[in-house]
Amino acid sequence: MIKGFIKRIFLIFVVAYLDYKVALGLSEIYVVLPLTFLVYSFFLYRSVNNIGPFESFLTGLLVDLITNSYFGHNAILFCFASYLIDTYSNTFKLFSYLQICIFFGVSATAYVGFTQIILNLYNFSYMTLFISAIFNISFCIFVAMLSVYFPQIAGRKM
Amino acid sequence: MARTSPTPGQKIIYFIFIILGVAVLYTDINTKLFSGIKNNFQSLKISSVYVIKNISVNPVRDFIQLIQAKQKLMDENKELREKLDEAYLKNFLISKENTFYIDHTKMIKLINDNASTESFHLAKLGEINPNIFNCCDRHRIYIEILDKNKEDFIESSVFNLNGIIGQVVGNASQNEVILLTDTKSSIPIKNLKGDFFCNGIGSGKEGLISCNYSQLVWTGSHEIGESFYSSGLGGVYPKDIKVGELISIDIVDNSNTKLEIKLIASPLESDLFGVIKI
Repeated sequence: MIKGFIKRIFLIFVVAYLDYKVALGLSEIYVVLPLTFLVYSFFLYRSVNNIGPFESFLTGLLVDLITNSYFGHNAILFCFASYLIDTYSNTFKLFSYLQICIFFGVSATAYVGFTQIILNLYNFSYMTLFISAIFNISFCIFVAMLSVYFPQIAGRKM
Repeated sequence: MARTSPTPGQKIIYFIFIILGVAVLYTDINTKLFSGIKNNFQSLKISSVYVIKNISVNPVRDFIQLIQAKQKLMDENKELREKLDEAYLKNFLISKENTFYIDHTKMIKLINDNASTESFHLAKLGEINPNIFNCCDRHRIYIEILDKNKEDFIESSVFNLNGIIGQVVGNASQNEVILLTDTKSSIPIKNLKGDFFCNGIGSGKEGLISCNYSQLVWTGSHEIGESFYSSGLGGVYPKDIKVGELISIDIVDNSNTKLEIKLIASPLESDLFGVIKI
């Protein structure tokens, strides 16, 4: 369990760095891709056991620290994502890949909206939110399609 | 094996953690309670990168420099450039003050009175996240002030080769600087004639500040491209330094006009800054 947690934290560090690098380029086209949030949601989704609120909260605080965001910002959203995914983990089995992609895309957009309200209230843009929603859903569909072409990677346990 | 949905007890724990998160977020936004932790982490991050670079990258780079003499020349060139930048910064107030060459008494005063240069310090860029200009209202950078002797740098103005970029708001090992474009930042400005004054508020967008005034109070007109200077009011920024140029005039209603000013200085232009306390 501890080993899995450390592995997740290490990956979160790497993804947060990638997120930082990618964000500048994407912002030019009014897109916000919350890569760290999406990857953590993916961990939660693929996890064999439920990841409790404590771990989600701690991970969120750590992400707040490394991304120099307000403390609690990611902690709340990671906790909420953990709650949603744990609650609907069995229901997801009835969903198609497309429906799951839409779910994650929309939750990523909600993350973007919440983040904009906290960090960027004076320049809140519905256009950014709308374009990000389309981009995030497309991105999730793209990742889902990758698992078809690379089943060995997609089949790994988290 | 199927995953179990959270029980009512577990849902309460989720709820408690979310409430806790909200409380922490509210506290962080409204107070500076966690700024120490953040500053220490930033310092640790910068120091770690520096140490790792010194251990791993620098020896390789030195080895390559030994082989390539051309590289050495380039470094010398860079060093000279930095010295030149430093000299520009030290003479910043002289070179940028628009009335300096007109009013000769100022030159005599500067020669006799060296008070303004006593509080001058050079600073190097600690950390900047260029993404802030595209996503956030909070535009901050971290600088490392050189040769500081436990002085208080809060409310010292920070500038680079082109002009004023902000003021110091944090006094940790890495000093936090609030940029002029931060929505909480304000700089008193005036026009060239000195008959119009207003506060330039950060717009949250890169290189832009805005200023609101009432036509009922000031009836004059503005022109696109008009230059604005720091007025020196408030005692934080030096006066008569060119801040930017007017790029748009928005008449909001009969009594309210909004001016948008493009700043001439960008924090991304240089790694070297000057810090001065008036």
